[in-house]
Amino acid sequence: MTSQTIRVGRVLRAGTRGFAIGCAVMQPDIPAFGSFVRAEGLAPGSAIYGLIYDVSMEDDPLVRQIVSADPPEEVVRDQRRNRQIPIEVSVLAVGCAHDEDIRHCLPAQPPVTLDWLYQCTDEEVQAFTSAGNTYAFDYFRLVLDAREVPVDELLAASLRTAAASRAESERERFLIEAGRALVRLLSSDPVRLEGLLRRLSRL
Amino acid sequence: MNERTPEQELDAFFGPRPAEPDSRPRQKLGIVVGGSLSQGLDVKLDRATVIEGLAVGRYVVAHGRTGRRFFSIVTDVQLDALNPLIEKAPPETMHGTDDDDFLARVYRGTAVYGRIHVSPMLMLDAGDDEPKPVKTIPSHFRPVYTASEEEVGLIFGREEEPGYFYVGEPLEMEGVHVALDLHRFVERSAGVFGKTGTGKSFLTRMLLAGLVRENVAVNLVFDMHNEYGWKSQDESKQQVKGLSQLFPGRVVVFTLDEQSSRRRGSKVDGVIRIGYEQIEPEDVDSLANLMALSDVQVGALYFLRRRLGQGWVARLLDEHDPLAELESALERGTIHGGTLGAIQRKLGMFRRFDFLHPRAAEDPVRQLLDHLDGGINVVLEFGRYGNSLEAYLLVANYLTRRIHEHYVRRKEAAQGDVGSSGAGGQEPRPLVITIEEAHKFLDPAIARHTIFGTIARELRKYNVTLLIVDQRPSGIDPEIMSQIGTRVTCLLDDESDVRAVFAGISGANTLREVLARLDSRQQALMMGHAVPMPVVVKTRTYGPALYAELGLAAEGKNGAEATLARGRSLLRGDEGEVEI
Ligand SMILES: Nc1ncnc2c1ncn2[C@@H]1O[C@H](COP(=O)(O)OP(=O)(O)OP(=O)(O)O)[C@@H](O)[C@H]1O
Ligand SMILES: [Mg+2]
Repeated sequence: MTSQTIRVGRVLRAGTRGFAIGCAVMQPDIPAFGSFVRAEGLAPGSAIYGLIYDVSMEDDPLVRQIVSADPPEEVVRDQRRNRQIPIEVSVLAVGCAHDEDIRHCLPAQPPVTLDWLYQCTDEEVQAFTSAGNTYAFDYFRLVLDAREVPVDELLAASLRTAAASRAESERERFLIEAGRALVRLLSSDPVRLEGLLRRLSRL
Repeated sequence: MNERTPEQELDAFFGPRPAEPDSRPRQKLGIVVGGSLSQGLDVKLDRATVIEGLAVGRYVVAHGRTGRRFFSIVTDVQLDALNPLIEKAPPETMHGTDDDDFLARVYRGTAVYGRIHVSPMLMLDAGDDEPKPVKTIPSHFRPVYTASEEEVGLIFGREEEPGYFYVGEPLEMEGVHVALDLHRFVERSAGVFGKTGTGKSFLTRMLLAGLVRENVAVNLVFDMHNEYGWKSQDESKQQVKGLSQLFPGRVVVFTLDEQSSRRRGSKVDGVIRIGYEQIEPEDVDSLANLMALSDVQVGALYFLRRRLGQGWVARLLDEHDPLAELESALERGTIHGGTLGAIQRKLGMFRRFDFLHPRAAEDPVRQLLDHLDGGINVVLEFGRYGNSLEAYLLVANYLTRRIHEHYVRRKEAAQGDVGSSGAGGQEPRPLVITIEEAHKFLDPAIARHTIFGTIARELRKYNVTLLIVDQRPSGIDPEIMSQIGTRVTCLLDDESDVRAVFAGISGANTLREVLARLDSRQQALMMGHAVPMPVVVKTRTYGPALYAELGLAAEGKNGAEATLARGRSLLRGDEGEVEI
């Protein structure tokens, strides 16, 4: 993780619930499932937060040709670096901010096409998941309500990211609090809850 | 008295300073989540509250939105879960003992949590210092705390106040003293119950020590098992000081059995002997059950007394007396020969009682009354006769009946004299009569016509009340039981006994659980007239610490201390008129 701002890609399509972005290359960490990302909002000082829940690479005619032609290494490497069709990253909107004031809610307006989307820094992830002396987990509700999203995996991955953004000594406390928040939301399904908590316990 | 520092001097003059703010921090236990006035409140425990540290019977205080405090007693402790399914399929890793397990830490206080059920008893408005019975309950989610020492003092009063006596510590509040309002305690008859070995006699002796020290009432103790007078033993055969050792000059010991008292090393102040000619048919009547006297035989007793005169018992016991006066009655069939024979046989039992004499030099009742009227407490040891129920009942009834009559006369004289200042016009000082094995006197078959039944029923009309000590409260006439104002109950496990002690007490159901969980010794549930709300106490240990305090108090009360106290109350204007 990092404290520099890293660009993930530009917005391809956007809606209130989420958006898709395109990026040209895949680096070891970026974009990663469960990462927190941020886009500038329309109003100055505003921002939209999201969680990456899908990364997909579509094929294109050229790739098909190359695949069947047993290409030399340089061709493959070149293909990867200079794709014709971008890697598509799906983001679930989980919050928005006005200056320092972060809320876990859907943004009033989606980001605009071709806006840049940034990977959140550790500080930003911490700020997003904190509220005063305790932690903020209201975004769980947005994740749990999302359709066509691997909800439990996404929750676990986002918590892994958020825990990793914190000092080693704080991580367990953070995860326990997250677990307690999940208990409230998932009490009607103890089996699912237990599975999820077990995943957290191994982070 | 020792020299005092100027500071102590000031303290002594102005009285104790307001208590220091309670040093033990109040602990928040949880929040009110539901309940009702009639059924009690449900409190969800905070995660940090360890349920195992909360016992039934403990005091807690709910803080209402309006600053009102609700004093309550824990009546049940429960485990609860957000989803009942979790009970069916508990998380697997938590089967072990690892309390630090991640899942355990997440679940505790959220998915699963502790819950207590509390009965609100008293409420106290903000700024008020007089707790009142609860008429409402705190709102949702109001915090519930452990009770503080200051709050216990507020409810029960402080032991420093005159007429109050420290009788024990509330459950799990070590060092906090529950004081009993002794004036209220003697205002109605009171009972100490519990199965054998739970500490009834120790507790009763401690209460009596309080009554003597605070001079609230004068006591007459029928000491069946020789435990109250000079000395006694505890279970480990250690010597325990009796009341007359603790209050020399203020408690005297009489005995029915001089030999036994001497053997036991008991220091007695007098011997009680009853003359045959002092026995009346009523005295024998109270033994009718034990002696298996039929109704006809009881009727015959009165007849014989009329015919044979004052010496009737002696004459019936005299085998050589021809009983000439009875001849015509026997002939006419007024009395049957068989009945007469049976009565003579049954009265024969009296010959075994050495305290009965053909004629007694002194009137035993007079002996006792001389002391009681002078404010001296009397313990009557039964010696070996404690093992004879007949002797115990006979003597206790005999003496009590006559002392009661004396009280009735004096009380009526006092009432007749209202306004005038005649010498006979003084109210007799309140008398408390302590009896062990009380159900023998108060069982439904006889309670209606024994003196003890009468005393219990007439409340304190004549300034006489009972302190009954019993292990079988179910054997006591329910009507009498309902007149027992203050009930101090050690562990009882028989269902009918439990029912009996709770009869007529409101909210009894919630307290059952509390009673059933008492320790088997030295713990008691006090409820009723003398306590503003029921309380479970670890009863004060009757031992050296108590002796020491009584010794000190005795010195203090009739020394410089008393003078200072008087000055104090004058300054404060406590007394209506000040004579200067
Ligand atoms: N308050 C107390 N202080 C000191 N010891 C106590 C106290 N209460 C109980 N005990 C201990 O418990 C023992 C039993 O108490 P006690 O003789 O008062 O029981 P009991 O209920 O009167 O029994 P029983 O029904 O047989 O008369 C005592 O011998 C003493 O060792
Ligand atoms: Mg006893």
